[in-house]
Amino acid sequence: MLKSKLLFLTLILGTLSFTAYSFEKTVENSVQTILSNNKTELDSAVNFLVETKTPHTYALIGAVLEKRLYVKGTKAYTLFPGIKSYYEVYPEFKEAESDVAGITPLKLSRKYILKFRPLSKYTQLYTPVAQSKLNAYQRFKQSGTLEDVAFLTEQLKTESDEKVKAAGNEAIYTIWLLSGNEQLEMNALAQLGEGASDQMLDPLEQYLKKKENAPQDQSYILASELISTIQARERFINTAQNLFSGISLGSILLLVALGLGIIYGLAGVINMSHGEFLMIGAYTTYVIQQCFISYLPASWFEGYFWVSLPLSFITAGLIGLLIERLIIRHLYNKPLESLLGTWGLSLIMIQICRSIFGDITAVKSPELLSGGIEVMDGLILPFNRLFIIGLTVFMGVLTYIVFFKSRLGVKIRAVTQNRNMSACLGISTKRIDAMTFFLGSGLAGIAGCAMTLIGNVVPNMGKTYIVDSFLIVVVGGVGKLVGIIASAMGVGVLSKIFESFYEAVYGKVIMLAIIIFFLQFKPKGLFPDKGRLSEE
Amino acid sequence: MPLGNLLGFVETNTMTLWGRYFCFAIAAIGIDLIWGYTGVLSMTQAFFFCLGAYGIGMYMTLSNLPEGHQLPAFMEWNQVTELPTFWAPFSSFPLAFILSLLVPALFSLIFGFFVFRSRIQGVYFAIITQALALAMFLLFSRNETMLGGTNGLTDFKYLLGFDLRETSTKLGLYFLSFIVLCLIYIYSSFLTKSKFGKGLVAIRDSESRMRFTGYGVSAYKITIFMIGSVIAAIGGMLYLPQTGIITPGRMDVQASIEMIVWVALGGRGNLKGAVLGAIVVNLLYSIFTSILPGGWLYVLGGLFVITVLYLDKGMIGLFQQIQAYIKTFFASDKNNKEAEDVENEVINVSA
Repeated sequence: MLKSKLLFLTLILGTLSFTAYSFEKTVENSVQTILSNNKTELDSAVNFLVETKTPHTYALIGAVLEKRLYVKGTKAYTLFPGIKSYYEVYPEFKEAESDVAGITPLKLSRKYILKFRPLSKYTQLYTPVAQSKLNAYQRFKQSGTLEDVAFLTEQLKTESDEKVKAAGNEAIYTIWLLSGNEQLEMNALAQLGEGASDQMLDPLEQYLKKKENAPQDQSYILASELISTIQARERFINTAQNLFSGISLGSILLLVALGLGIIYGLAGVINMSHGEFLMIGAYTTYVIQQCFISYLPASWFEGYFWVSLPLSFITAGLIGLLIERLIIRHLYNKPLESLLGTWGLSLIMIQICRSIFGDITAVKSPELLSGGIEVMDGLILPFNRLFIIGLTVFMGVLTYIVFFKSRLGVKIRAVTQNRNMSACLGISTKRIDAMTFFLGSGLAGIAGCAMTLIGNVVPNMGKTYIVDSFLIVVVGGVGKLVGIIASAMGVGVLSKIFESFYEAVYGKVIMLAIIIFFLQFKPKGLFPDKGRLSEE
Repeated sequence: MPLGNLLGFVETNTMTLWGRYFCFAIAAIGIDLIWGYTGVLSMTQAFFFCLGAYGIGMYMTLSNLPEGHQLPAFMEWNQVTELPTFWAPFSSFPLAFILSLLVPALFSLIFGFFVFRSRIQGVYFAIITQALALAMFLLFSRNETMLGGTNGLTDFKYLLGFDLRETSTKLGLYFLSFIVLCLIYIYSSFLTKSKFGKGLVAIRDSESRMRFTGYGVSAYKITIFMIGSVIAAIGGMLYLPQTGIITPGRMDVQASIEMIVWVALGGRGNLKGAVLGAIVVNLLYSIFTSILPGGWLYVLGGLFVITVLYLDKGMIGLFQQIQAYIKTFFASDKNNKEAEDVENEVINVSA
């Protein structure tokens, strides 16, 4: 099998080098005719180049087709979009030496460009940009013929980029696969093996369609096995991606829900305006960005985000403190009333924000957080989402320490359990309430700052998260740190997974159904209080 | 009542506006029964209101199809070739009428059964219903649900052969809304005075005692939730022909919470208060959106805050407080003390 393949290759290569040799002289002449722009012989020269299809003129023809041909003496150059330095395209294809002085652009008329157009399939391979090369090889999968195989093999010999090499090989296998020659088909299938990329799905399916009437064939079985391998890998990548975005959604929800749950546990207040602290955090980030743009040197711009993080915590916290002192203080242990009152409050806050900032603004993410890690082929974890997850872990641990390892935390927990008793023991419940509101609102503010990395900044951005966050608090159990963390991750991940199976909306409906079903068994949340505490 | 002035002074538009307020007042009575009397804060009443409106709207869409068309326009845009099966019954009015009441009733029965059975109460219930309102809003906004997506149902000209643009039809709908409002008010006040109504108040004031005394608290709650939902749906059914459009925007979370504020502002646990609150807030809305378009949200937000901070018993309660205060002021020392007791009682009940 392998032997015959080799034989075939040598045969084709042999013919090719033979033709190349015998026309060498005239090809050289034709190229020079073009480069000197000799109008009288241009016609025949172009025709000759199109007929002979000589690989080492392809780079030059590519430059003509792209209308980026430059000439200096007997050498031709080109420029690629996005790359500053010149490339030599004739007689060799390589990066030009630094000295390109006296270079002049050369434009051929449209007539000749059209004549060269059929060769564009080949010329597109002559580029230093890996992505363009990949695309060029993709094109061979659709339009390649057996004659191209030799040319492709030759090209791949000098290719160093692994990805491009794989794509090129797959282009060859695709041509073989769809050639109708059984030997070559088997060859392609054997070569493809486990590593076949998802780009091979289409050709393999085409192949199966062709072979429909012989499903017992070994090749048919092999091809369908390959397809299922590829699909399985795709499914895995999808699941991983969903899981990842679910976790990052869960972390934002967690930051919002933490404050919400703690405040409800402490004061018996349903704070519907909690989402607006997220909004405040986001707008703080926006304002700081604008300040950096107008008052500080441009090189400092990157730093704005790191300044905004603590500042959005403090701003949101202070406003939360203010609102607690002014309004919410009167609504302690009246959950339903506080729900209505704070909803009104959130309406006012949104409207104020809208009249100051207008309807929509966006914050530019810092460079450091753009891009991502490619964990495996096709699975990219963006840095901004990783950062959000990291931030949440950090804040979660911090909250945990404050809650369970500090004096303040002990007091907060004491007031949560029994307000009167704590007051009797000399804890200033007022101070504790204020501190808790500061912390809870600040957490939402940080979430808002993090939100600017992945979305627009709009006045009613908090409303999108508030209902979900409350559901998390309900599922997790009021005032239970661990419960809230568990349910935030659960809700985040599950809703992303449902969204990938169904539309986003149905995902939400299913999520709600699941939560109601869950509450049938655990009406007090994941980790309910036991004993006397469970009375109320 | 403005209908006295109707023949000369009041414009037809103002009248339709009042007709709509009556529909809102009907829904508010439903909320008052659930929240004011039973203490269950349902934040999804606007959804039931819309279910009623959509039911009638589907009938009107089908009966108002332009000639030569088999399907509503929005379905044609979405390349739907056949009328979805769940639309089919809505081509006849009696069926549409019954379904508009039956669907909310069944929905609230099933939802209520699962939620009340597991003793989800207070804030938890409020949050769950709020999530339900959000989910339903999103669901109705989709084109695939075949209910007109975000544009909702609109473009109606006739209802049962009456031209909706005619003044006489508008007048008729206004009277109909008023009569239905009165009927529902009478029914509800009868209900609250009955043994069942006393049971509801008892649940509000001490659910566990009620349960331990052997009453089926869940059954009470499910029943009142159903009644409230159907009342809301009746409001919606009357609302649609008077506005001519129903969109999912009417059932978002905000809409439900606004309905609650009508009741809170008017005075919960008092049917007059619910009606009063619904009319006052909507009147304010009409006034403010025409004078100060941007300012309405401030007013609404302010109303929320003021109501919960200062008007525990709503406007009705405010009248009573003022009455009690005047009584105290004019009464002699001896009476003074009695009046104070009365006042204290009022406060105790509210607490």
